[in-house]
Amino acid sequence: MPNNKKSTCDERAFDEFFKSHSKLLRNYVYYKFGDLQQAEDIVQDAFIKLWHNCSKVPLDKAKSYVYTIATNLGISDTRHQKVRFKYKDYITQRKSDVNNESPEFIALEKEYMETLKNAIAELPERQREVFLLSRIDKKTYREIAELSNVSVKAIEKLMHKALVTLRKKIGNI
Amino acid sequence: MLDDKKDDIFLSRWANGELSEDELLEFKAHPEYQHYEKIIAGADALDLKDFDTTNALLAIKSNRSTKKSKPTIKLWPYMAAAASIAIIFGLFLFSPKESFTTGFGEKLTVTLPDGSEMILNAKSNAIFDKNNWEDSRLVTLEGEAFFKVKKGSKFTVTTKNGEVSVLGTQFTVNSHKSFFEVNCFEGKVSVSNNKYNEVLTAGKAYRNFGISPENWSFKNQEPSWLTNTSSFRSIPVKYLFVALEKQYDIKINQNHNLDLQYKYTGTFPNDNIKVALKTVFSTLGIKYSLSQDGKTVVLEK
Repeated sequence: MPNNKKSTCDERAFDEFFKSHSKLLRNYVYYKFGDLQQAEDIVQDAFIKLWHNCSKVPLDKAKSYVYTIATNLGISDTRHQKVRFKYKDYITQRKSDVNNESPEFIALEKEYMETLKNAIAELPERQREVFLLSRIDKKTYREIAELSNVSVKAIEKLMHKALVTLRKKIGNI
Repeated sequence: MLDDKKDDIFLSRWANGELSEDELLEFKAHPEYQHYEKIIAGADALDLKDFDTTNALLAIKSNRSTKKSKPTIKLWPYMAAAASIAIIFGLFLFSPKESFTTGFGEKLTVTLPDGSEMILNAKSNAIFDKNNWEDSRLVTLEGEAFFKVKKGSKFTVTTKNGEVSVLGTQFTVNSHKSFFEVNCFEGKVSVSNNKYNEVLTAGKAYRNFGISPENWSFKNQEPSWLTNTSSFRSIPVKYLFVALEKQYDIKINQNHNLDLQYKYTGTFPNDNIKVALKTVFSTLGIKYSLSQDGKTVVLEK
């Protein structure tokens, strides 16, 4: 079947597409289902599936295709067990170059960061997804909305809720 | 403002730097402000383990090719033996056509010259011309088979009940005497005979056994018989009996006043004759007995 339209069957187009979309997909799946290792496996399966069905998925549909496949895989993987969001070894604190703070302050900061990560782990799935996509991946509300096919307003509400929930969980440190 | 319950996106606007100057000033004076600021500052200091796209892509590529070679692994050892015997005796010199036949209760996976896959169900026969394969991908079928077709030129399955042609997809064809059924699992297939011509898309099926053709939709990803279950959707018991006979090499004694056009919907296992008979006949409300040699099923009136 001659197909001159830009297709994901084309090796170079596929590689290009993988390089520009796989990382965000992995993070998205991770924030949603809580396990980074599982998220990487899901990304792999989703892209293999895309390759096998490349003749039916044009490049402009490929993004929503892999997101749908990955979300479904995540749902069927975690259907039977509620996975706790795992952040140890995965989420770290960025090294800051200012180290002239007092030891007490650093200890206090460390304690605060642990509390914060814990509170993020306890967020409801959708709130966590939006919060982390916005703060870690620096995605705009519009971009996040497009990933899960909802309105920007819905994302803004989730972000607001996430902050309120985190504030409640963290208390007054 | 934060305390305004109606403003349910206040904090997200603030985190995005969308507040007006006045709003921001007011928020900064709020006792909660410092707490929220700390959350955002903390979150922005978080980093996620990096993703090695190059290695991940390599992993996908190696997995992709192992998947491709899978059909050859599935090939029946018998098949390989049969094929080598055929080559030794030079049979193909006399007949360039490859023919595969399954016996009672057998299933056979055949890899076609272009890598397409054909899985024959019990008591079926398929013939194709290996040497001419590049010019025309053509399989002649009597019985039932599932096809996973590689993309390429037109792929045609001819039966005496009609012709099914596709470009690259997954589908089953079941043609037995005047019974003809096609299920499309992926892509599109076109079904045609002298009276009928239609395109089936994924999840659609077509059937004709003489009276009037029917179409319906289904949800499975592959035919149930691949996992050793035969399933039927309002099929006349006549054909149900044929399927049982083909699976288990038995003869069903039909001296019963049962209406053979009576429709049956249900499944039976392909690897346990007792369960299969019990499932079918208890649903039909018929008492039956299996002869000593296990070859004949007698239906009691």
